[in-house]
Order: sequence, then C-alpha cells, then structure tokens
Amino acid sequence: MASTIFLPGEQVPSEVLPRSKKGTLTLGPGLRHIPPATVLATTLGSLHIDHKKAALWLEHENGRYQPAVGDLVIAQIHHSSVDTWHCSLTPHTSLALLNQLAFESASRKNRPNLKSGDLVYARVSRCSKWDDVEIEGFNSATGKAEGMGPLKGGMAFGISPAFARRLMMGTGKDGLAKGGVVVLDEVGEKVKFEVAVGRNGRVWVDSGSVKTTITVGRLLQSADEEKWDVERQRKEVKKALRDV
Amino acid sequence: MPREQEPSTNEHDFVLSALQENLRLDSRPFQQFRPISLAFGDEYGVADVRIGKTRVLAKVSCEVTAPYTDRKFDGIFTISTELSPMGSPAFEVGRQDQTELLLSRLLEKAIRRSGALDTESLCIIAGAKCFHLRADLHVLDHDGNLVDASCLALIAALLHFRRPDVEVRGEEVTVFSIREREPVRLTIQHLPFCVTFSYYNTSSTTSAEPGIFLQDATLLEEQCRDGEIVISMNRFGEVCQIAKYGGTPVDGLSLLTCTNAALETAKRFDKLVKEKLAEDEKVKDRGGLMAELSAENERPMEPPPG
Repeated sequence: MASTIFLPGEQVPSEVLPRSKKGTLTLGPGLRHIPPATVLATTLGSLHIDHKKAALWLEHENGRYQPAVGDLVIAQIHHSSVDTWHCSLTPHTSLALLNQLAFESASRKNRPNLKSGDLVYARVSRCSKWDDVEIEGFNSATGKAEGMGPLKGGMAFGISPAFARRLMMGTGKDGLAKGGVVVLDEVGEKVKFEVAVGRNGRVWVDSGSVKTTITVGRLLQSADEEKWDVERQRKEVKKALRDV
Repeated sequence: MPREQEPSTNEHDFVLSALQENLRLDSRPFQQFRPISLAFGDEYGVADVRIGKTRVLAKVSCEVTAPYTDRKFDGIFTISTELSPMGSPAFEVGRQDQTELLLSRLLEKAIRRSGALDTESLCIIAGAKCFHLRADLHVLDHDGNLVDASCLALIAALLHFRRPDVEVRGEEVTVFSIREREPVRLTIQHLPFCVTFSYYNTSSTTSAEPGIFLQDATLLEEQCRDGEIVISMNRFGEVCQIAKYGGTPVDGLSLLTCTNAALETAKRFDKLVKEKLAEDEKVKDRGGLMAELSAENERPMEPPPG
C-alpha cells in the first residue's frame, strides 16, 4: 500500500476519502474536520485508510506516547499511596494511577507487593483530557490476567512509540507481519525468550541469559532507529544469532 | 519536572548483572568510546562534538574590557555551561542543578586552572584593556558522558578560535576586524582532556576484586553507577586534576590503572582534534593571502553592450 505524506494544514483530497453506506467518516489522530466537507492534516504523517470502517488517520514517527483506552503499556511504579500506585508511562509527564487490587485474583490480603521502580505490564482502562490516566493489571471484564501483571527480571529497552505499535500489529491473514517487523519471529525460531511490548515505547525482554536478552533488545532498537526493512531484519537476526 | 527519571529496578539490576558478565548493553568493550564526531562551524571558535547520542556545542567569543584590578596583566577567561531542556527534559532553564554545577566546576579546574590558555596574551594595555574570552557550552543532547564531550568541545573551540588583531599606539588601541587583518590564534600551552570512569562496586566484602571501571558510560549506565572518577590529562601524561564523586572507596592501584587508560584516551582525543583542525583549515584556505587580498570580483562573462 503506497501511503501519501501530508504536511500540517494540507487538505486531504475528497477523492481519497473512503465512502461508507451511512455516509459517515471516522477521523483518527492527525486529522481535523472543517465543515462542511474539508479534512485537514494537523500534523506531519502518512495517510492510512481503512475502507471497511470508513476510517482514516495519519501515522507519524515523532512525538511521545499519548495514552488511549485499551493500550497495553509498560508502567514504572513511581510511588505508592493508600490503595493506588502512581506509575509513570513516559518520563516527565503526569503519573498514571494503578489500583492495588487491579490484578488477577488480588484481594485486600493478597496483592502484589510492588516497590518504587518496579515494572508492570498493564492496560489503559481510562483516560481523559481532564483526569488522571488509569491503568489496570488484568482485564477487568473477565478478571483474567491475560499476560498482564508485574514484570520480574529481564530488561526494558526504549523504542519509539511508532515502532511499538508496529510490533503489536500481529500477523495478517497472509501470515505476514502487518507492521513489517519480523525480528521477534525470526529470533524466536532459534532461542527462547519472553517479551512484553508497551505502546508507551518500551519493550521488556527476558531470556535465561544476559547475552540473549541484550541481543534481542539491540536488534529491536536498531531495527527501529535504522528503519530496517524485512530483508535487512532477517539478515541482521541471522548475523546476531551466530554469536549467541 | 526537575528530576531525571530513575531507571526501573529491572534495568538497574540488568545493567549490573550484564557488567558482571563483562557485557555492556551496546556490546562495547569496557574501555571503548562510542563513535566520536567533531565538526567546526563556519565562524571561528565553534565546535560541535558528538559522542554517540550525546551532543555538545561550544562557542568561543571575545570582547575588549578592563582587566580585574588585582590581575592587571591577565586577560579574562570565563567558561559558562548551559544545560537547556533541549538536552534532556530533566534540565530546567535558569535553575542550576548538580550536574551543571559539577560540569562547570570540572571544566574550570581542568582547563582554566591548569593554565591551558595563556591569559597574559589576552592583555592589551596592562591595567586598562584586555580581551575577555568567553566560552559558552550548550548541551544539545544528553546521553551520558557530558564531561568528556564538553571538555573536548571546549578545547577544540579554543584551538579553532581566532581573536581580532590589535595595535597599540601609546594609549590608543585599534582593534582590527577580521576583514582588515588576519585574526590571531590563541596561545594554548597544552591540551588537557577529561576522561570519565564510571565505577561499579561489584566486589563482595570478602574478595579483593577491584570492581569495574567503564569509559564513556551512557546515561543509563551513569544512573546505575556507584561512583565516578574524572581524570584530566594532556597527551604527555601530565595529570591536571583528578576528581572522584560518589562515596564509594576506590583503591589506589585501580586509580593508577585508570590514569594509564586515561592517557591512551587523551592521546586519541589529541590526535582527533589536531586531525580535524587540519582538515578544517584546508577547507577554509582559499588559496592563501594573495587570493584573500585580491579586490577583483568574479564577473559574469557577458558580451559588452552595443
């Protein structure tokens, strides 16, 4: 899919706007509707269109993470108050709240003992412009952890939010990674490791050995910074795994 | 938010356990620097140093003022450091924090007090007029090892700088602009370079293992360290200053090992600065003095009218 780059203030041509049966459009981040029928870009980014949902949005590489409900994030405990932990999602922004009972099978007597500096894999449960962001360590609808919870050991590597998003896109019907990142799949064929991707630009990697963890982390970071394509990723993974 | 975000416990523990296995996160050897780049500006006295993701810009400028009354034969040399929020969101405007204080004090010790710059040569008329040399350091990006990068940038900028030529006739002083007369280089006596060692106290109480020393630590490695040793040295191995911060004791023998390693690095820095200066000079050289003095303009080749 060839994507068009838009500059702030540029108008999205009406030919490319998707048509839905109801005649409504859904605008995502980076776009603004000016009545009656103008759609303007508010930031620099490439245009993405989902014709099925009649949705369009701009994707950009820069900027810090903005919380949205349902995002999986890696939060760092900052301090604790009566029954919540205050966690930072990104440095130097206001803290998110994590209820101490918002974990799988947590009760007043049995709840995870987290200290300042610990990492938690959590889901954003509430966020609004005017209120503190709230996160939870389990799926509150089902009461199951679904992979979330405190992260013990391992290492958290910093990546760009855009890359984190690409990592989490999963594989499409054709068996190809939608985000164009195959590093984890390729490494996973050879060595064993655990990984948790936070949309706030952090990847937590844990394998038995320090060396493997560093290798995986470095591969992800360089794939992000140097913008490796799929071919390059495969080549680099092969090269890196030779030493492990 | 004034404070740098501390690394998480996972990161902290992982960095330390990796060091125990002789590994760094960017798979560098302990004594190796990240790639260093040094570039000069179009103007005299501008140097831009990058060590990995850390970036420092130094600018040297001068003006004519009256010297201090107790130092009539000396010019004035001041170093000012600025850590702007551009470098890291943890830096605030107008508020000096620990990092900035340590940085400016170290540079002061390493460069000003070691007599790297001959301030007497900045004197124009004793007790009446002298040059005030001012070095501004701007940290544009902070990813650890600010001291080494700033020191390198400052030395490079001082070497690159030329002050305007002056002529004294009795009490009258004429300062010639760059266009009128070739500006004059500063008299630099020696080139001190700072080399920082981050110290990790890995030894248990029983074993006599000296611990781990890292050169050119990244920001994360700096945040996890137990102490740091800054050694300033020129390429002849003359130590200008040694500073040790952060409580933990370091035994004498390791300090000597550090000084030896610092000498290697100082020699490398020295070579780098001289190479880059020569390169820059070659680029700036527009065919010698005669070409500069020529008043002839380049004319478009057009047939005469008529």
